[in-house]
Amino acid sequence: MRNPPGSDLLVAGGLAVGHGAAPVCAPVDLRLSAGRALAVVGPNGSGKSTLLRTLVGLLEPLAGTVTLAGASVDERSAAFRRDVAAVLDDDSFFVSLTGREHLLLTARGHGVAAAEEVVAAEIEAFGLAERADALPSALSSGQRRRLALAAAFVRPARLLVLDEPERRLDAGMRTRLAARLGGLRDAGTAVLFASHDAELVGTVADEVLVVDDDACRVLAPAEAAGRIAEL
Amino acid sequence: MAAGTTVAPLDGAAVRRWTRRATAARASTTLGQRLSDAWGGLVSAGVGLAVAGGGLASLRERIALAGAPVTGTVLPAPLTSAALVLLALAGVVVVLARLGPVSATPAAAAWWLPLPADRRGLLRGELVRLTAAVGAGAVLLALPLAFGAVAAPTAASVLGGLGWAVAAAVAAVGGTVLLQTRRRGRGPAAAAGAVAGAAAVAPAVVGTLAAAGGTPVGAPALGTPPAWALAAAALAAAALLVQADRGLGRLDAGRLLAGGVTAGQASGSLLSLDTRQLGRALAGRDRPPRRSRRLTPVRRPWQAVVAADLAVLARGRWQLGQLAVAAAVPVVVARTEGLGALPPLVWAGCLAGWGLAATAAGRAAREAHGVPELDRLFALSAAAVVRSRAVVPVLATGVVCAVSGLLLGVGTGLVGTWALLGLAVAPAWAAASLRGATRPDPDWSGPVVSTPMGVLPAGVGATLVQGVDVGVAGSLPLLAALGTGGPTPLLVAVQAAWSLLLAAAVLVHLGRRRSPGS
Repeated sequence: MRNPPGSDLLVAGGLAVGHGAAPVCAPVDLRLSAGRALAVVGPNGSGKSTLLRTLVGLLEPLAGTVTLAGASVDERSAAFRRDVAAVLDDDSFFVSLTGREHLLLTARGHGVAAAEEVVAAEIEAFGLAERADALPSALSSGQRRRLALAAAFVRPARLLVLDEPERRLDAGMRTRLAARLGGLRDAGTAVLFASHDAELVGTVADEVLVVDDDACRVLAPAEAAGRIAEL
Repeated sequence: MAAGTTVAPLDGAAVRRWTRRATAARASTTLGQRLSDAWGGLVSAGVGLAVAGGGLASLRERIALAGAPVTGTVLPAPLTSAALVLLALAGVVVVLARLGPVSATPAAAAWWLPLPADRRGLLRGELVRLTAAVGAGAVLLALPLAFGAVAAPTAASVLGGLGWAVAAAVAAVGGTVLLQTRRRGRGPAAAAGAVAGAAAVAPAVVGTLAAAGGTPVGAPALGTPPAWALAAAALAAAALLVQADRGLGRLDAGRLLAGGVTAGQASGSLLSLDTRQLGRALAGRDRPPRRSRRLTPVRRPWQAVVAADLAVLARGRWQLGQLAVAAAVPVVVARTEGLGALPPLVWAGCLAGWGLAATAAGRAAREAHGVPELDRLFALSAAAVVRSRAVVPVLATGVVCAVSGLLLGVGTGLVGTWALLGLAVAPAWAAASLRGATRPDPDWSGPVVSTPMGVLPAGVGATLVQGVDVGVAGSLPLLAALGTGGPTPLLVAVQAAWSLLLAAAVLVHLGRRRSPGS
């Protein structure tokens, strides 16, 4: 399903996140519309990953609300899973399935027509053509990361959520990933990503959410330049 | 990004099938190998069951011929049996709740759960496997009991026993999964833990009070339950399971993954026979402290070690309950009619209870063994660290063994001597606690021993018994006391000397083995 341009897709209000009773950062307010990209930046341990996990329903909010297209976020809903593609810190694979089979499972599980062609194209785009039929144990750490990222591209989604997508990628792949994310954003997908890569943030993000203990603020990239430079 | 959806996505069952077929396509094992493995497993299980059943039947005959009990036996056997069944059932529920019970492996959480496929269809296979595994376990436990614990087993009595076991197992699975689907995953573990504690402690208290009053506890005359009762129980268990199945779609990915990680750790440690790691996997999180301790009484490094160990003991979710159960087990065995008349059986009850105490008391040492750099923070020699680390186990096992001894002595006129005898055994169990906590990892390179039940890795066995061996050896004078009708001051002195000697030897050995840089 394509997003209506300009409408708020993901909305969080007074959102407190954490693994126990105490929040890991200040409350978060954000709005992300279709065709926009929001980068989440902050130092290690500031709560970026916890925030993303809460926004995609993998953790319950300690306080506040999160909605996707007006409905409360509930990862147990098939419609939510159809709309949201997320690549967080997962590095887990079925030991007996090849890289190509992982992507086919994802594409067919989402009802993608011509799944084999779509998967073949993403394998090519992520530079995995030589290793696509190898088992995950035979892939390098960077190749496994590419495979996990490719899974987010072989399926349709209204919102794409990525946690430090640049991790373990070489410089060339980071540049190509930035271009892909920009293309997705321009095609109407909302993109939310946490990153320590100033170039990726500068290229892709329309706005930047700076996560901190004292306050979490959404800034324009120019306003957040100082914080991005610290990345 | 892929074009819009134009075909029907795979449903949960189809996703499972697709993954299974893709996996099977490159499986290296043949059908013949799988059948051979299954046959080997069946034969091993059959021999094991026959040995267990024979052992129980022999025990029953020895009980019938036994003489006077070691202490006054006031608990009727059916009451203790009911407590044991409750304890086992509560244990199963605790383990199930810790494992999820329905869970997803990290791979399934990453590649299955984000799909829009119906979650019920994805998880149903897991529920079926879980039910089959727990049901099979119940049958394996019930079979030797059904054949060995009854004087003249009939087809009806055996089938009835197995039926009740399977119904209980299915109800346990169905009930815990149902609570999991209603987001009450931690409740059953805590409740079952409390039930297990009560099932062990209550008979000990009742038995002690009855012994003090000199009146045996009366047991209601219970006949064999009618077939309709079993049918009703089976129906109720099936209904629970059906309800649980209907709720599978309500399970959230975060909790499924957490259970899957725990299950992975537990099954890995079970396969490698690493009981220490298994305990860590199943222990769960500690109680979160309300505030950090100020540790003001700590003035010296050894006191810091002791204070840290005490904090670990107090914050553990299960340790204090385990110590209470540990103190109760010897009392229940000794006070039960039939069991209490066999000194080796009472001794075995003491070993089981005090072994549990040693395990609970050794948790801090086990954790420190896994993170040796912690000990290096203090200006203490390796020997001094070991001595400091022995303080909490000595206190814990001292209290448990003395309480057990004291309760065993009630009604015998020798309460003080029994309590002293218990206290005298404690140093050996404290040493056992430390030796078990710091034992090396299982050694799989050692020789194997072929038995009718399959090949046993003797090298691993030699590692696993480290700790228990000292406790058993240290309790030999206790066996003499039980066999000669009760403790005497001389036996207490012998017990204390022997126990202290073993403990000193263990501490010296461990101090030498653990160099400061290890």
